[in-house]
Amino acid sequence: MWDAFAVGFMNQGLTPSIWVVVSLGVGTFLGANLIWATVISVIFAGIGFPLVWGILGGSMPRSGGEYIYNSRILHPIVGIAQSFGDAVIWLMWIYVLAPLAVDPGLTMTFQFVGWAGAANWLTDHTWSAFLVATLFNIIGFMFVVFGIRIFAKVQKVIMFFGIGGCAVIGVVLTVTSRASFMAKWDVWVTANGSADLVYHNFSNVVAKAAGVASIPTTWNWADTLGVMVAMSWLFAYAYSISFIAGEVKRPDKTIILSNLFAILVPAAFMLWIGLAMYHSIGFQFLSASGYADNNGIDAIGKLPWSTHFVGLAAVMAGGSAFGKVVSAIMGLSYVAFTMWWIALSYLAFPRILFAWGMDRMGPKWFTDINPRFASPVKNHILCFVLGEGLLALYFFKLNSTMQNITVTGMQITSVFAVTALAAVLFPYMKRSKGVWDSSPYKTWKFLGLPMVVWGGAINLIYLALLLYEFIFKKAAGAFTGGSTILFAAVWVLGVIWYFFWKQRSKSVGVDVSMTYGELPPE
Amino acid sequence: MIKLFFVTDIHGSSVCYRKFLNALPIYGVDVAVLLGDLTGKVLVPFVAKGNDAWECTLMGQHRDIGSKEELAEYKKVVENAGYYWVHQTREEFEETRSDPANIDALFKSLVFTRVQEWLDLADERLEGKPYQMYMCPGNDDWFVIDDMIDNAKLVHPCDKRIVQIDNHEMVTSSASNPTPWDTPREMNEEDLEKHLRGLVDQIKNQETAIYNFHVPPYGYSLDLCPKLDETLTMSAEEKIHAGSIGAKKLIEENQPLLGLFGHIHESRGAQKAGRTLLINPGSEYSEGILKGVIIMLDKKKVKDYVFTSG
Repeated sequence: MWDAFAVGFMNQGLTPSIWVVVSLGVGTFLGANLIWATVISVIFAGIGFPLVWGILGGSMPRSGGEYIYNSRILHPIVGIAQSFGDAVIWLMWIYVLAPLAVDPGLTMTFQFVGWAGAANWLTDHTWSAFLVATLFNIIGFMFVVFGIRIFAKVQKVIMFFGIGGCAVIGVVLTVTSRASFMAKWDVWVTANGSADLVYHNFSNVVAKAAGVASIPTTWNWADTLGVMVAMSWLFAYAYSISFIAGEVKRPDKTIILSNLFAILVPAAFMLWIGLAMYHSIGFQFLSASGYADNNGIDAIGKLPWSTHFVGLAAVMAGGSAFGKVVSAIMGLSYVAFTMWWIALSYLAFPRILFAWGMDRMGPKWFTDINPRFASPVKNHILCFVLGEGLLALYFFKLNSTMQNITVTGMQITSVFAVTALAAVLFPYMKRSKGVWDSSPYKTWKFLGLPMVVWGGAINLIYLALLLYEFIFKKAAGAFTGGSTILFAAVWVLGVIWYFFWKQRSKSVGVDVSMTYGELPPE
Repeated sequence: MIKLFFVTDIHGSSVCYRKFLNALPIYGVDVAVLLGDLTGKVLVPFVAKGNDAWECTLMGQHRDIGSKEELAEYKKVVENAGYYWVHQTREEFEETRSDPANIDALFKSLVFTRVQEWLDLADERLEGKPYQMYMCPGNDDWFVIDDMIDNAKLVHPCDKRIVQIDNHEMVTSSASNPTPWDTPREMNEEDLEKHLRGLVDQIKNQETAIYNFHVPPYGYSLDLCPKLDETLTMSAEEKIHAGSIGAKKLIEENQPLLGLFGHIHESRGAQKAGRTLLINPGSEYSEGILKGVIIMLDKKKVKDYVFTSG
C-alpha cells in the first residue's frame, strides 16, 4: 500500500505542481481563488479518479496501465490508439520535466545559496542545460532499470526529501507575517537595483507589463474554474499506480485507496500553502508574482531569482546562512519531485510496451524480462534512447513554453477521458462481461448504479470542465494547431500500429483477437 | 503445422475449465494441453440457519445469505474461484471442524468429485471432435487424480511419459522442487533432477522435443515470484527465483525445441534459453480468466506463438 501510494503521490509532483498552479495557473487566471479551486478539484478528482482507476485496476490487476482496461472494455483498436498516445506522453514528460529539473529546479537552488555563476551556466548555454537534463534522464533510468526493489527504496528517500522540502516552504509561508514579508521584499528588490518593485508598487508594474489596468484584488469564479486546469497537475496523475497494478498486494483494496490518498495528501498541502500564501503574500501580489514568473517580464530581470512561490518563500527565509540552507532545501524539493517524475516515465513506458507485447501488439522482445533484475531492461533502454532524442529536440529545436500544457491536454483527452468512458461502460459491455462478473466491485452500488459508473461520470464532468477551459479560455495554448495535429497523428499512428501487428501476426497464423476475446464458459 | 494450446494452473476453477474446453473450437487448435495444478485449495461450508437462510465465510468475510437465489449466486462465485462448497447443518459443521481428519476426508471427496465431473464433461464435449486433449496434474494434486485421468475416455494422460504430438516428442512431469506448502509431488532438487533426467533420456530427438514440466527452470524470468516471509506473506518489492535447478540443467544441456511450464502464476512470459523457447502462460484462475498460449509448431521449429486471455 505504501509503495503504491508513493508511486501515485510522487506522480502528482507536489512542489513543482504547486509551482505550476501558482505561476502558470494564477499567473494566467489572475482572479483565481486557490482554496475554492482546490476544494472543487478534490471533490471531482477525489471521487472520480480513485473509483475509475481503482476499480478498473482492481478488476484487471495487470501492469500495463489503462491499455489493459480500454482494450478489454472498449475495443483493441481504441486501447492501442490511446495507449500509443499515453506511451508518447510518458516520453514527452521526460523532455518536459528534465529541463524543469534544471531550470527552474537547479537554477533556483543555486540562486538561493548565492551561486549565481552556476545558475547562469545552466541558463545561458543550451549545451550545459542539455547535459544536466541528460544527467537527470540517466539518473531516472538507473533508479528503475534495476528492478522494482531498488526503485521502491530510492523512492522512499526521494519522497521524504521532497515532502520535507515542501513542508519547509509551508512553514516559512505560515510563520512569516504580511508586514515581515513586505519589509523583506522591499529590502531585497531595492538591494538588487529594482526599487520600483517595492511591495506597494509591484502589482502596478506587473499590470503595466501585462497590458491590463490593474491586477485583481479579489477573486472571481471564471478564473477560479480556469486555474483548475493547472491544478490538475496536483490531482490527476495518481493513475501511475495502474502501471504496477499487477505487482501490488491485495490490488482490490490497494489500488483504490492509494489513488485516494495520493489525491488527499497533495490537497492538504495545497490548502495549507494556499492559505499561508494569502496570509503572508496577499492575493493581488501573489497573482502579480505568478504573472511575472510565468511571463518572465523584463521588470524582474535584475532580481537574483524569479518570483515563483518558492522564490517568494526564499525571500522570507532571508540571506543568512540559515536562511540559505532553508531555501536550498525548498529548491531541492522541486528538483526531487521533477527528477522522480522522470523515473516514473521509466516505470510506465516499458510496462506499456510489455503489455502490448503480451498481446502480440509489438515485437516479441517487448516482453523480455531480465531475469536478474526482474525488469524489462530492453524496453527501458528504448525509453532512454527515445527520451534522450526528444530532450535534444527540445533543447535545440522546440523550446516552447507551452509544451507542458500541451502534454496535459493530450493526457486529458487521450488517456483520462477514454478511460473514464470505459469505466462508465464497463458493467454493460458484452466484451468485458466475464471480467465484470468476477470483479470484486460488482456489488458496489449507489442509487442502483454501479460505483464504477458514478466514478466514470464524475470523472468525465471534471475532464469536460478542464477541456472547456483548454479549448475556449485562456489555457487554449494546449490546443494550438500544431498540438492538435500531434494528438491526431499519434492516434492515427496507434491505429496503424494495431493493423500492422494484426496483419503481421495473421501472416504467421496467429489471430490476435484471441488475446482480447472473452471465452464463453458455457 | 499444428496449433498447440497450452494452459496451466486452473486450480479447481470450473469456469476456467469450461472456457478451456470451449477454446478448442474457438481458437481452432489441434492439440490442447492442460497442465496442473488442477485442484483448488479452499472449502466453503454453507451452514443452514433455517427458513432458507445460510451463513458462510468467504474470502475472509462472514456472509449471511437470505434466499435460495442468493445462495445460488454464492455457489457460482465459490466454484468460479476454484473453491469447493458443501451444505451443512450447524451440527455437521461443528463435527467436521472438530477433527482435521474429517475436514481432509470431506475436502478430498469434493476435489475428486469435481475432477471426475471435468473429465466427464470433456468426454461429452470431445466426442467426435478432431481435437486431442492431454491432461496432467501438478505438484498440488493428489496422486489419485492420475488414476482418474488414466481412466478417462477421451482425455489423454501424459505425466511421466513421452507422447507424440505430430513430429514432436513431448515429455511431461507434474513434480516440483520443495515449496513452503509441502505439497504431494515435491522432491528435493537432487531427486527431481534424477526424475527429469530419467524422462528426457527416453527422447529420441531432442531438437524437436517439447519439455512440459510443471516447474519452470531456475534463474529465468518465468520463475520469478514474490519473496515470502516467515508468515508466508508476500513481499511487494522483492522477487526471487523459485524454479528448478535440475530443469535448468537439462534444458541447457539438451536444448529441446520448446519448454512449457506453469507453477509460478505471476510469471507469464516467454524467454529463449539458447535455441529453446521457454513459455509460462501464467494463471489468473481466481478471477475466472483463462490464461493460455497458442503455439504454431512446424516440423522442426516454433513458427510463432501468441498469449491468450479469455
